[in-house]
Amino acid sequence: MTSRSSQRMNPPAPRQWSSVEELFDDPAFQAWIDAEYPAAAEFAPTARRQFLKLMGASFALAGLTGCEKSPFVAALPYVNQPERDAIGEPRSYATAVLLDGYAQPVIATTYSGRPTKLDGNPEHPVTRGRSDAFMQAAVLGLYDPDRAQGPARHGEPVTWKDVGAAISLLRTTWGSDQGDGLRMLLGPTSSPTLLRQLDALRSQFPKMRIHLDAPAGTTARAALTTAAYGQALDLHYVLDACDVVVSFDDDVLGPGPDQVRNARGWAASRRRAADRPGIALYAVESVPSATGAVAGERLIADASRMARLAEAFASALDIAGAEAWDLTSTEQGWIESAAKACRAALERTLVTSSACGDPATAVWVARINDALKGAGHTLKATRPVMGPADAGTLAELAHDMRAGKVRSLIILDCNPAYAAPGVLGFADALKQVSSRLHIGLQRDETGELCEWQLALAHSLESWSDARAVDSTASILQPTITPFYDVRNVHQFMAMLLGEIDPAPDAAVRATWQSAFGNDFGARWRAALHDGFIEGAAPFVDATPSTTTNMPASNTSEGLDVVFRLDPTVWDGRFANIGWLQELPKPLTTLTWGNVVSVSPAFAKRMGISNGDHVEVEIDERKVVGPAWIMPGQADNTIALYLGYGRRRVGRVGDGLGYNAYSVQPADHPWIAKGRLRKVGGNETLAVTQLHHRMEGFDLVREVSADQPALPQPKPQESFYPSWPSSKNAWGMVIDLDSCIGCNACVAACTAENNVPVVGKDQVTVGREMHWLRIARYYSGEAETPRSFFQPVPCMHCEQAPCEMGCPVHATTHSPEGVNQMVYNRCIGTRTCSSYCPYKVRRFNFYDYRAAPEAPEQAAQNPDVTVRSRGVMEKCTYCTQRIEAAHAAADKENRALRDGEVVTACQAACPTKAIVFGDINDPDSEVSRLRRDGRHYALLEDLGTRPRTTYLARWRDNGGGQG
Amino acid sequence: MAQIFSPAADTWLRMSLLAALSILAGGTVGIVGFARSSYMTSTEFRPPQPVPFSHRHHAGELGIDCRYCHSGVETSRRAGLPPTETCMTCHSQIWTNASMLEPVRQSLADHQPIPWTRVAKLPDYVFFRHDVHIAKGVGCESCHGRIDQMALTYRAEAFTMEFCLECHRDPTPNLRPQDHITDMAWKPAADARSEGEATAAHEGIRFGELTHCYVCHR
Repeated sequence: MTSRSSQRMNPPAPRQWSSVEELFDDPAFQAWIDAEYPAAAEFAPTARRQFLKLMGASFALAGLTGCEKSPFVAALPYVNQPERDAIGEPRSYATAVLLDGYAQPVIATTYSGRPTKLDGNPEHPVTRGRSDAFMQAAVLGLYDPDRAQGPARHGEPVTWKDVGAAISLLRTTWGSDQGDGLRMLLGPTSSPTLLRQLDALRSQFPKMRIHLDAPAGTTARAALTTAAYGQALDLHYVLDACDVVVSFDDDVLGPGPDQVRNARGWAASRRRAADRPGIALYAVESVPSATGAVAGERLIADASRMARLAEAFASALDIAGAEAWDLTSTEQGWIESAAKACRAALERTLVTSSACGDPATAVWVARINDALKGAGHTLKATRPVMGPADAGTLAELAHDMRAGKVRSLIILDCNPAYAAPGVLGFADALKQVSSRLHIGLQRDETGELCEWQLALAHSLESWSDARAVDSTASILQPTITPFYDVRNVHQFMAMLLGEIDPAPDAAVRATWQSAFGNDFGARWRAALHDGFIEGAAPFVDATPSTTTNMPASNTSEGLDVVFRLDPTVWDGRFANIGWLQELPKPLTTLTWGNVVSVSPAFAKRMGISNGDHVEVEIDERKVVGPAWIMPGQADNTIALYLGYGRRRVGRVGDGLGYNAYSVQPADHPWIAKGRLRKVGGNETLAVTQLHHRMEGFDLVREVSADQPALPQPKPQESFYPSWPSSKNAWGMVIDLDSCIGCNACVAACTAENNVPVVGKDQVTVGREMHWLRIARYYSGEAETPRSFFQPVPCMHCEQAPCEMGCPVHATTHSPEGVNQMVYNRCIGTRTCSSYCPYKVRRFNFYDYRAAPEAPEQAAQNPDVTVRSRGVMEKCTYCTQRIEAAHAAADKENRALRDGEVVTACQAACPTKAIVFGDINDPDSEVSRLRRDGRHYALLEDLGTRPRTTYLARWRDNGGGQG
Repeated sequence: MAQIFSPAADTWLRMSLLAALSILAGGTVGIVGFARSSYMTSTEFRPPQPVPFSHRHHAGELGIDCRYCHSGVETSRRAGLPPTETCMTCHSQIWTNASMLEPVRQSLADHQPIPWTRVAKLPDYVFFRHDVHIAKGVGCESCHGRIDQMALTYRAEAFTMEFCLECHRDPTPNLRPQDHITDMAWKPAADARSEGEATAAHEGIRFGELTHCYVCHR
């Protein structure tokens, strides 16, 4: 203790730091660290006598829990048992869930007809079995208790028969003037069936108009490619064919429909060489993102400077018409360095700009790609898969509604009353429409303003179809019978088309009947079995027009205000999914809310500290939110995060954060000019970055091409005898060079292991329950830091301190080296947690279980115990999967094969950064990685001999800003 | 000065110490005994069933194989209760009007399951698998007893952790050849251990790995 205190008296600049408070040596931070177990900080100190009483009582009561006679319960067999349905065994179905209208192909695991876990479809060409956090959490969205549970009219429940009658009346009205006053509003869709039905509706009512509402910017790229290439295109990055990537404020590896594909390509390239990083990433960005965090050379620049930097970069590559002017020396250095790398790599180069950036950047980037010959090789283009093609915009709809041109509005699964730029005043305009019909998963902010409020089926209980980002089509099949009175989107469309009581699968079958032709039966079954239909759209040639005038940038005075989608609740549609609310957002580690992120220098100038309320003003519209000092953010840029401030989403998501849509401009929704001022007030943000801190240095290590190997781990002495090992010895290696901090592993672990959601208050006091955390560290200065991600599950130490600490032997060592937690023995002393140097143990301070009748119960994995109050829990290496693999191998009387046990986090990781396997088998993947020069153990000198180990991150040679 | 302690005090002290000790020991024995009693473990209790189904008649006298009704036992974690359909394969032909079978016919007509009461129940925190036990040579009778002699089904063994562990620590004497898994009357030959050893070697039992916590709890 003495040595540690003296270190504090005289702090050396920490090599790696985890928060601005730590770097600036804030007193509040010191107080937080001084509490050995932060969660206990709120309690008054317990007197010794009181403590002994409590201990005595808990020991006595611990013994009594066994005195319960197990009751006789009912056992209900089937009446007609489905063929091949073994009771209690999981079954898998290939289907897809949707993100922004794109299919995310999944394999759904169901128990007794209820889906509990989604994994990527291993054969799908886009994801190859990998996932992201949204896909993992979709299953909880299905069981959301606040979903719309049946059709209603002005809030009063009605039947679908009533709805049918109303629709047939409406159809008569629409028919009288060919649908002149009829409008339909929906999110962009890739579903061939829905597009076909929309066309059919338009041919019935030729004068109707369709409008698209894309709060996530799905259609924004079309506008940019039109500016750059003269046509709307989908651009595809082929990162596994790249040696150099240059990104202009584009979060290539960030959340979104493209994340899995890009992350896979990135990781494949990164691992191409054994002695150096296989791909170099140059990123310039205004707001820190996953891409910037892993970039070798990162430049920080304001959002409005991107076009100028892109032009300067084009000029460095001698592209006609480009000029470099007014650059700082840092910018100049970055551009020269990136240009040099590009010239060397030529067609193995990709330059990207954000789909939510400004058009001038997109135009320059298109010309650069063309000049470098990367176009067609690392950058491919297809015709857009999103439709309908000739739809109007939301702004046009709002205008027409105000002008009284809209008499009937049908809103299909979108929420413009919440997620529309505030300047449109959509909610008010909507009141001008006489007949309003809304169908959605939730009776949300828009639903409550409508006359007819219909309940839509979740994609996991629907027949539908959709295309993935590469346009490969998937047929969505239901994994569960709808348990609410809902209809799927195609049934609803069929009702609009005049059908009475349409079957759930009729429309989808009809679409594919014509596509498959005579071979329908076999191809339909194959499509359902495989989860996708082979055949992506053909690539088209895209040559940027060199003659277009450069689009003007907004040069007015003020701060650059950029809008970002929230990395966990996205555009707000996932706000009621507790798993996503509680995921610490990458880089900020914030949960349950959004912030106004500002740069450290700006915060210093304005006297802002974390959580202070600030008011952002754009075009006289204002919003107030808590500030967050973001290390590495551009000085003159502030970022607002969309997706929060919801009022009508449900018990989980209502009333969290501020609504950034309210200040979003309509014409250029992603970048604006604005002002910020500090207003009174401060709030505590539920950030997890200081929770579960490890005391140590060099937690994340780096290697460089000059010195590609770390010193070999030394054998550590121990007073305790080694455990004998059985045939298999489980171990895990996590490659820090591949980790992009995307949270897919944490979400997958939550879904697989029934990890409870504890809520904002509990997270604030450090009681989040995630078995796997992504620790985030910085190094360097606050203005220009380097960022590191480090996933930390249980280390399964061979000499585990927790095992030695437990007074009741509730945590034990298995012959396979797994550190086991026995919930029934645990009496909740939390000794193990205080003994754990890696801080991976989680305690159930309350009974976090869902109510017995709550639908969320159905999402729980029946193979994993649901823990109750007062017990400790932690990562088990997915022991249920290990035991299932053992049982399968034992039945066949053979040894386990490498790769047969795949942990949930490993399966989800889009970059394959997590590898699990048998370290006794010298040929296993995990053993091979343990022999790698980059291999190291966390806090090795403690002598715990962890089974979970790491591969150091590559440090690219360049300097750059971070 | 009067003596503080009478001459009997020593005896009293010894007596009360002995009494305290015997109450403690007796209490422990009593509690443990109660916990293991057939009352607490519900052995020998025949819970009421909607149909007084007799395993003695079906499995014993008629000789229907266990797997005819409990069809999942070799392939899945649960043996499974037979669907109403399975009952009706025979009872649509014989005893079609028996009043005893009314709930079965009703189940088929209403498409509602027969609400049996589960007899062999393990706690929720035990993750037992039938299939692997069958594959490794544990017979039905080893846990479920002489089902073929039960008119009304009852729990033959107290499913305590000790009962499971006894076998997990030393499976050898409890293993039988694959062709006798469902054989209720099977008795090991004179030398159970060597026969079991042969089976264990053949089945590749992972000795020593079967007693750690995560084998059954997770």
